[in-house]
Amino acid sequence: MSRQNTDSMTGMDMFKIVANLMLIYIAGGLILASVYAKTSPIIFKKAKQEKENALKEMIEADSIKEMGEWYPYPRKHAEYYKATTDGKTVGYIIETFGKGYSSYINILVSVNTDLVVQKINVLHHAETPGLGDEIEKDYFKDQFKGKTIETLKVVKDGDLTYVQAISGATISSRAVTEAGVRPAVQMLSDILSGKIKAETGKHGEEGH
Amino acid sequence: MTNWELIKNGIFTENTIFRLAISLCPSIAVTNSVKNGFLMGVAVMFVQVMVNVTVSMMRNVIHPKIRIPVFMLIISGWVSVVDMTMAAFAREAYAQMGLYIQLIVAFASILARAELFASKNTFVPSMFDGIGMGIGFLVALVILSFFRELLGRGSVWGYALLDFKPLLIMIMPTGGFFAVGILMAFFNWMEQRSKIASDKAAAHQHH
Repeated sequence: MSRQNTDSMTGMDMFKIVANLMLIYIAGGLILASVYAKTSPIIFKKAKQEKENALKEMIEADSIKEMGEWYPYPRKHAEYYKATTDGKTVGYIIETFGKGYSSYINILVSVNTDLVVQKINVLHHAETPGLGDEIEKDYFKDQFKGKTIETLKVVKDGDLTYVQAISGATISSRAVTEAGVRPAVQMLSDILSGKIKAETGKHGEEGH
Repeated sequence: MTNWELIKNGIFTENTIFRLAISLCPSIAVTNSVKNGFLMGVAVMFVQVMVNVTVSMMRNVIHPKIRIPVFMLIISGWVSVVDMTMAAFAREAYAQMGLYIQLIVAFASILARAELFASKNTFVPSMFDGIGMGIGFLVALVILSFFRELLGRGSVWGYALLDFKPLLIMIMPTGGFFAVGILMAFFNWMEQRSKIASDKAAAHQHH
């Protein structure tokens, strides 16, 4: 557009511009609000259901209750849970994050009352397809059964006491094992032994 | 142009990926499996049609000085609608490609059609232009992801077909560039061949 054109802005132009933007904001806002009203309860319900299912898969217990929350990384909020059967504690589930090659890997770990790892599950990640995403595979995750704080270490030498690195994805393997699972078990151990105080912040009580 | 010609234009003559070579970043990012490529194509088609239709209806009231910001608002509004709908009804796919759905806002192809076509045409042609461009994009993504998933994972839409050690590179971004390049070359070659053939036929008639 020519320079002349830019300078000749009349009151009518201004009015039209304001009216344009107002119309667009109001119409867009109404459409978005109605879609949001329809979809958000469904999103919330499904997300909650998915989380409950994910927790149930981790451990066999009658009930799983939130115990508290923690921050594996600043701004990365996670929770941990106590699993009980007939009122007796049978184990714990901890949600954790590990900083991987290209994403924060979201992990669930279940441990028994002796803090021996029972199972891990990778909930969400964005690691390299074909290399890092092998962390989702059973052959990698199954290795964690029976590991403790001392043996949660990644090695490449085939020593089955420790966790074997995925070839081509050492960073992702370490992220899960040494940045995700081990600190989580360590945190739980510290809390159970009273070394650090459990945080049951506002988040837990607020409800949803 | 008739409506049918508008659709053909979007699929062949002005195919977003193979002819115009725009919106390549998302096409490479999501085409490592056919399912993702297909869903992305459908989402883009929906946004393209809705944006074209909205812009064509509003074209006489939009002040020319602020048309681009207004187009962007329209685009982002419709993208948000797709984003929320997918989050509610296609959660599994959304978990994998939610980020790219939001990025549709920044697709050059959508703004380009709003500016070049819908802002100068009436409702019906704009709708067909949107459908054509959308199908063109969808078809391109499906072709790309078909080859990439087949070679990179040995499967199509998650079903294992080939039993071999997959070419890992094909499902990584590098392979995406290769796939786009090779397919683009193929489309150009096809076009050149048909052009040579028609030139020859024309020359023949002269003699």
